[in-house]
Amino acid sequence: MPAPFRLPTRLWTDRPLTFKGVVVVAVPLLVLLAALVSLYGASTAEVQAEDDVRRAFAIQRDTHRVHALLAEAAAGVRGYALTREEQFLDRYRQAEAELPATMARLDGAIRDPQVRARFERLRGLTARKQEGLRQIAALAERSPDTAELRRALRANTQVLDAMRAEIDALQQRESVLLAERTARVEDVRGRFLVVTAISAVLGLLGSLAAVYLFSTGIVRRVRVLEHNATRLARGEALGEQPAESDEIGRLAQRLARASALLRAREHALRESEERFRLVVDQVRDYGIFALDADGLVVSWNQGAERIKGWRAGEILGQHFSRFYPPETRAHRPAEMLAQARRHGTAEDEGWRVRRDGSRFWANVVITALRDEHGALRGFAKVTRDISERHRAEETLRLAREEAVAASDAKSVFLSRTSHELRTPLSAILGFGQLLELDADDLPERHRAAVTHIMAAARHLLALIDDLLDISAIEAGGAELRAEALDLEAVCRQAASLAAPIVAGAGLRLTVDPPRRPLRVVADRRRVVQVILNLLANAAKYHGNGTTVTLTARQEGASACIIVEDDGVGIDPAHAPRLFTAFDRLGQERRSNVEGTGLGLALSRSMVQSMGGAMAHERPDRGARFWFTLPLAPPDIPAPRRSEETEV
Amino acid sequence: MDLVSGADILARRILVIDDEEANVLLLRSVLEREGYRDIHALTDPRRALDTFVDLKPDLVLLDLMMPEVDGFQLLEAFARHSRADDFRPVLVLTADTAVEARRRALSLGAKDFVTKPFDVVEVALRIANLLETRILYERLRQRRCADG
Repeated sequence: MPAPFRLPTRLWTDRPLTFKGVVVVAVPLLVLLAALVSLYGASTAEVQAEDDVRRAFAIQRDTHRVHALLAEAAAGVRGYALTREEQFLDRYRQAEAELPATMARLDGAIRDPQVRARFERLRGLTARKQEGLRQIAALAERSPDTAELRRALRANTQVLDAMRAEIDALQQRESVLLAERTARVEDVRGRFLVVTAISAVLGLLGSLAAVYLFSTGIVRRVRVLEHNATRLARGEALGEQPAESDEIGRLAQRLARASALLRAREHALRESEERFRLVVDQVRDYGIFALDADGLVVSWNQGAERIKGWRAGEILGQHFSRFYPPETRAHRPAEMLAQARRHGTAEDEGWRVRRDGSRFWANVVITALRDEHGALRGFAKVTRDISERHRAEETLRLAREEAVAASDAKSVFLSRTSHELRTPLSAILGFGQLLELDADDLPERHRAAVTHIMAAARHLLALIDDLLDISAIEAGGAELRAEALDLEAVCRQAASLAAPIVAGAGLRLTVDPPRRPLRVVADRRRVVQVILNLLANAAKYHGNGTTVTLTARQEGASACIIVEDDGVGIDPAHAPRLFTAFDRLGQERRSNVEGTGLGLALSRSMVQSMGGAMAHERPDRGARFWFTLPLAPPDIPAPRRSEETEV
Repeated sequence: MDLVSGADILARRILVIDDEEANVLLLRSVLEREGYRDIHALTDPRRALDTFVDLKPDLVLLDLMMPEVDGFQLLEAFARHSRADDFRPVLVLTADTAVEARRRALSLGAKDFVTKPFDVVEVALRIANLLETRILYERLRQRRCADG
């Protein structure tokens, strides 16, 4: 809008609607009123003009009448003068009586000063004519002197001629006036037509202006307002709204404010949603997507695309049951939704299918989404591909099963072997014992034979027991009851058990406990058995020694238990075979020393099964065996007293 | 003074079930040496239940590891065919040294458990003890019947 128009337009648009309404109604009304006034003026002028015309006609008629009456009177008088008959005087008298009224009518009607002047002359002439006629009549009555009469008649005729000239002039003037007046009437009528046409046009224009004002001003603005209200309802940006201060303008401003507020709020919400959507969308390790209440997919993130292979466009609107393999597709999806509806969430692990039909092992959590009224809006589904873990678990499970199966097989084998070896031995030992019991009934040499049989059989039994023990430990099948033990207590227990054997061999047993309490993680029974074994070996093979020492001390993260003697020691050539099963290093030839050749092998197996190590050292004098055990962490409580004294 | 006389014990009926002929023979020898006279033996465990029902032995010496029907199954079968108030002891003799076998046998109703190879004197004493308990139990029941 150009600048000069802006201010008046603003002045108009800023007025209140009431003012505008009054203006819009008043303008055509005023135009109508003006038209009516002009119409009235025009019709009055016309009436007056017509009146003038009528009067002009009346003046012309009365002027002719005066002339006619005088001519009539003159004719009567002349007749009387010639004949002396009274009847001619009747026409004279009748004209004489009528003339004053006609003259008075003319006097009243004449307005024009020219006509008035001629009328005054006509009046004088008329009076002279009348006077002349009266003299002629009187002359004719008194004397028949015709010469005088003729003179009077001539004079009278001259007056009538003058009168006639005057009347013609007057008539002529009146004709001019009539023409003038007729022209004026025409003029007024024409003007009246113009005024009427202008009034009609003005009225029409006024109405049009009112309609225009309404439609282009208020109606247009209301339409803009309505349009903006619709946009507001749709949440779109509002169109341009000029800042006007009438009711519509204020409404528009409030609408604009509401829109700005809404948009700000919407913007914040969208930003937060956008952030959230970005986070969800960018997650690649989890398939996160939403289902509607019927289970149709309504959103899809990158993780879902990566895990399942469908693009968002391909899967939106599809039912989520297509992620399930055929064997569970018919029932599992419905069960999951039902569970989520009931408990809020449903978790599942199992096979799912990708777009290409391949399967993966998934962990799935379905969460029911409800609005603030508790109405179900849909479900959120988080899927994780844990195929790798599943495979690892499966492998582990199979390995474990195989190990268990192998262990079971070994246990069965051991148990069977034990049974198979012991059963015949049972008969041998049993019958041998019966023979021993009845030895008195046997001859001497048979008695010796029975003794030999029994010794061999008992040795065989010991061998079998040790062998099965080693096998059981190596198979991992034998029970290991690891616990935190006080090492000194265990050493003293083993020493007290070994004391009779050591003493029987003529040796002195010394126990060198750790300087401060040491706790180890081990199976008490086995530790005791190992120490006992080592002490018994020292007692058996010391040769010419005098002392056996049992020492316990800490070495790094382990406890070390040492058994050493001051005997003949071990031939370095034999040392590598010390822990070999059944290898008695030539001792089998010494008939006074019993043994299976399995003691050290069994001891080392037991120590290793408890996480320790065992070795032999050759000191300057005698033999030294040591083994280690892992130290207990400080937070494992010591076993109760009663257990320590057990065995 | 013993509550139960030796003669009373030795008169009792003993059923030996073991698939090894040698073991059956050994146990028979031990029992005969002790003076038992009513000794029955089986090497086919499939006949064990019928024999048990027919003979109504006072004591059963039972091996666990046997083909076809093992000792555990027989223990269950014997329990099904015995009256709840009848003390009919079973002594299990087995070469299985596993502690599980011992626990399972005892939980299935075995009254005692001996690992082979066994000490014949010890087994003889355990047999006598079980029979003595059975005899005392019988007396108690008879007295209760008489009182009732």
